Formats: sequence, C-alpha cells, structure tokens
Amino acid sequence: MINLKVVSPQKVIFEKEVEMAVLPGAEGDFAAMPNHSPFISSLRPGQMAIMSSNKVDESFFVSGGLVMLKEKVCEVLVDQIEPLSDVNSSNYQQSKTYQELEGNETALGTFEQVVNNPPYK
Amino acid sequence: MPNLKELKNRISSVKSTRKITSAMKMVAASKLRRAQELAESSRVYADSLSFILSSLAGNTKNSADLPEILTGRENSKISLLIINSSDRGLCGGFNSNLFRNAKKWISDQQGQGKSVKIMTVGKKASSFYKKTDLDIVASFEDLNSNDRQLQVSEEIKNKIMELFENNEIDEVSILFNKFVSAISQEPTYQSLIPLSNEETSEDESEANIAVFEFEPDKNELLEYLVPRNFLTQIYRSVLESSASEHAARMTSMDNATRNAGDMIDRLTLTYNRTRQAFITKELIEIISGAEAV
Repeated sequence: MINLKVVSPQKVIFEKEVEMAVLPGAEGDFAAMPNHSPFISSLRPGQMAIMSSNKVDESFFVSGGLVMLKEKVCEVLVDQIEPLSDVNSSNYQQSKTYQELEGNETALGTFEQVVNNPPYK
Repeated sequence: MPNLKELKNRISSVKSTRKITSAMKMVAASKLRRAQELAESSRVYADSLSFILSSLAGNTKNSADLPEILTGRENSKISLLIINSSDRGLCGGFNSNLFRNAKKWISDQQGQGKSVKIMTVGKKASSFYKKTDLDIVASFEDLNSNDRQLQVSEEIKNKIMELFENNEIDEVSILFNKFVSAISQEPTYQSLIPLSNEETSEDESEANIAVFEFEPDKNELLEYLVPRNFLTQIYRSVLESSASEHAARMTSMDNATRNAGDMIDRLTLTYNRTRQAFITKELIEIISGAEAV
C-alpha cells in the first residue's frame, strides 16, 4: 500500500492508503505504487484514478499540478481537483470546475474529454 | 458641580461604545479561528512545494544554471516591497507597526544605493503611501471579502513576474505581520527574488539524500515551479496577515471594552456623588427654611 496525499493550496483534500494511483504526468500517465524510485513530475490536466486489483475505485479530474513520489508516499499538489462522480456528463458545463477552468483551454478541453469518456473506467 | 443630565448622557454613550467594542471583539475572535485554520491548512502545500524546489535547486550544482528569477540579478538596483496591511482600522498597532518597520527598511535600501518601489495590499497601506513620494506600482484592496485571497495573490504574482521580466525591478521582498500567537504579531520580511534559503535549508540534507528523477527536465519543471512558488508564498503571507489582523483587532477591542468598563464605573461614581450632594443641599435648604419660620 502507498500513502496517497492530495493537497490543494488551501488544504489537504484527502490522505489515504491505496494500492495504486494512476496520475496524468506531463510526459505520459504513470502509476504510483510502493517502492517506486524517487520521482518528481508535473501533471497535465487529466484523470487521476485510484485503483485496486485492476479496477478503478475512485476517479478524479485534476487540472494540473505536481507530484512527488517517494518509497511509500505519493504527494500530489493539485491546482484544482474534482471527483468525477460529482460531475454529470449530460450537463457538466454547469459544474463549478468547468466555470473555474474557463479561459484555460487545454484544461477545459481535457475536462470535457475526461468527463464524457474517462481513459480509466 | 457637574451637571447630572450631562453625566447621564455620557454614561449611556460610553455604554453603547462598550457594546460595539465587545461585539467587534466577538466577531474578530470567530474570524480569527477561521483565518488561523486556513493559514495552518495552507502550510502543507507550501512546505511540500518548497521541499520540491529545494531538492530541484540543490540538484543543480552550478547555480549559474538556475534562472535569474530564482537567484536574483547580480547588480540589483531596484527593490520592490510588497506591504500587507489591513482593509479596516480599529486593530491597534497592526498597521502603524508595519509602516514604521517598512520606513526603516526603505531607508536601509536607499542607503545601499537602491531605489525602492512599493506594492500595497489593503486599503490602509494604499492610503498611507499615497501621501508619501514613493513609487507605488500597484495597489490591491478588499481581500477578505468573498475569499478573494487566492485570486488576488495570483494577480500580485502576475504583476511581479511582469515587472521582473521588463527589468523594472531586480529584487522582491514581502512584508507582513506574522501570526505568532493571538496576542503577538511580528512584522516579518520574506525575500521572493532572490529566493530566501531560510526555510529550505533544514530540508536540504534530506533532499540531497533522496535523489529524485525529474520529469519533464529540470528547466521545464522550474518554469512551472517558480511562479507556483511565488503564488504560494504570497498567498501564505496574505493568510498570515489576515489571521494577525483579526488577532490584533481582538486584543485591541478587548482593551477598549475593559477601558469603557472602567470609565463607566468612574462616571457612575461621580454621578452618584453629585446626586447625593444635590439631595443634601436640598435637605439643608428645607431645614434652614423650616428653622427660619
């Protein structure tokens, strides 16, 4: 198990033990698992998936940020994050995240994509 | 002899002042709790970010490889000072302490042959520095309503990045009241350009042990990280300052409430004495009138 800690500028959003977390790294998606080599990467907008035994347990949209991976800790510093289950795919344009991302075209585009068709299901 | 009616009016006016100050104290106390929580919960992000930045900068051995915005320019001539004041008054020495401190800093800088520019945050600073002949590059107001702190911090960050790139400033420091405890706040300087090492130095030994891989490469990462770090530092100082403001207001309103109480006691005593003196005088008049008959 790896300790996944998600932090926004305002507060710690959650912290829990997970088997695996898939993150949208700047140069490609990667999976954070225990005993990964120490690694720092920036994030592109995309889906963050928490997985156990090859199934997605929880799914989030992150608008960008940083991740620091150590042996047993995965710290994710996000700009904005929203659980995908909170967004209704038929009227996602009304969601708070959508409005906050206005003007940030790449993130907004990715948000639409991720909400309508998340890469990890 | 004091006029009874006047005294009565005076007492009631001090009583209503006491009501106001004690209400303000309560409001400040509850706002303080919220501001303090916010300031504390934002620390996690700031600490992690400065850890990442220090491990990144520590990893680059040759400091010449680092961008100017991190190390500062060699012959710096123009300093920018960001002053975090409050929007409202009635918070004791909160603002005046800050301005006194800033004045010293400014004359220090000028003594070193640098010119100083000012950026003000909060209405009090902008109205104070308007009267001086210092160069004000920007003013930001009304931070605490509607949780605009993060948004305003972003604007400040964009402004200083723009000024630095246009060579209008060489150094940036930020001045704010650091929240030490509910009864003590301390004017504190933090250097943004060049990046101060104070906080990062503790982590450095740890950062050097864990050798991180970076993705994308360091320069690209720095490009993302440096503005983020500015934003976080500014945001943090804004939050600290707002917690300090509420704490300062709470203590000064507590003092004011106590002073009003003392004043009411004194006035009530005078009032009663005067009233008694009147009664005695009237009695004497009656008795001497009766004797005369």
